[in-house]
Amino acid sequence: MAKEILEMAVETAVLELPDTKTLRFKWPEGHNPEFKTGQFITVYWPDTPSYKRAYSLSSCALDRGFYEVTVKRDGKMGTRIVDWAKPGDKLFVIPPVGRFLPVYEPDKHLVCIAGGSGVTPFRGFVREATRRQLATRITVLYSVRTPKDIIFNQEFRDLEKQNPAFKFEVTCTRAEPEHQWSGRTGRITVDWLRALAGDMSQCVFYACGPNALVEHAEHMVIQELGAAKEQMKTEKWG
Amino acid sequence: MSKIPPDLKYAKSHEWVRVQDGIAVVGITDHAQKELTDIVFVELPAAGRTVKAGEPCAVVESVKTASDIYSPLSGKIMEVNPAVVENPGLVNAEPDGGGWFFKLELSQPGELAGLLSPEDYRKQVGG
Repeated sequence: MAKEILEMAVETAVLELPDTKTLRFKWPEGHNPEFKTGQFITVYWPDTPSYKRAYSLSSCALDRGFYEVTVKRDGKMGTRIVDWAKPGDKLFVIPPVGRFLPVYEPDKHLVCIAGGSGVTPFRGFVREATRRQLATRITVLYSVRTPKDIIFNQEFRDLEKQNPAFKFEVTCTRAEPEHQWSGRTGRITVDWLRALAGDMSQCVFYACGPNALVEHAEHMVIQELGAAKEQMKTEKWG
Repeated sequence: MSKIPPDLKYAKSHEWVRVQDGIAVVGITDHAQKELTDIVFVELPAAGRTVKAGEPCAVVESVKTASDIYSPLSGKIMEVNPAVVENPGLVNAEPDGGGWFFKLELSQPGELAGLLSPEDYRKQVGG
């Protein structure tokens, strides 16, 4: 049966960074859909029904009563959402689909490579694992330009304290002295990836972000680390 | 596998060019439209605008992302394709046919030599 497209109201609109906003779409009364953490929804405004954009859920399947997406100011939709969307606005939402799904098996290690707003689905991954108190290891390797570009920094740091199986690792590609960043700098490298991944046989690799980052991640994981293609899942954002 | 017609020239940034009588027709490649997925919006340059090779001059948005489109060659925009503005899905359906973006009167025809052959473009996209 085809899933129903529903009009949903924006319940909250939180500016995470100057160019990034999280919208929470409130489910209509009685709506209780089945979906999975890591899937994406497609949204459109009532006045432009042919102009649709897909966004990964930044909430998880245990979050009931709403969907959350975290949107960067990019293109017409991203600009409209970041600059103008507010509580009470209504958009149409095509229900979640997608196969970018966490493999929550006790011995697995989910190695999640993200660039920019590509980190948003991993918030859902870690949220669900933490709430369920799963033993599955999760490591997020997050590449941003500067420390000011880290989305969900505080939430990931808090989840790290709550979940001993979760590590949040950030590298800044364009950190300047004024940022006072004492962490890692430069791109995600194969040596860093190898060191954090540990036992390759238990790893499931994920990469989400701009095409160039995802292709770089695929090359490192498949060609340089020698992982099987089946061990990797990707979401390219152009 | 993406279609790479043998009668076209290609830019590294995934535009194609078909040249006839000093006029270049420009669009985006089959590989590009597949990477973008469903295209929902196209913005084209104004006719009469002068562009340089490598200059961003159009925008496409798919359900996943927004991308600049670069002019592969220098010249003057002679005509744009209103059909892709009205029906952006045409770029997915006919990327190297009815989904063309604009026609360019070349000011530096020698730049053509710097574009990729179909074989070289196929190597670039791994197809």
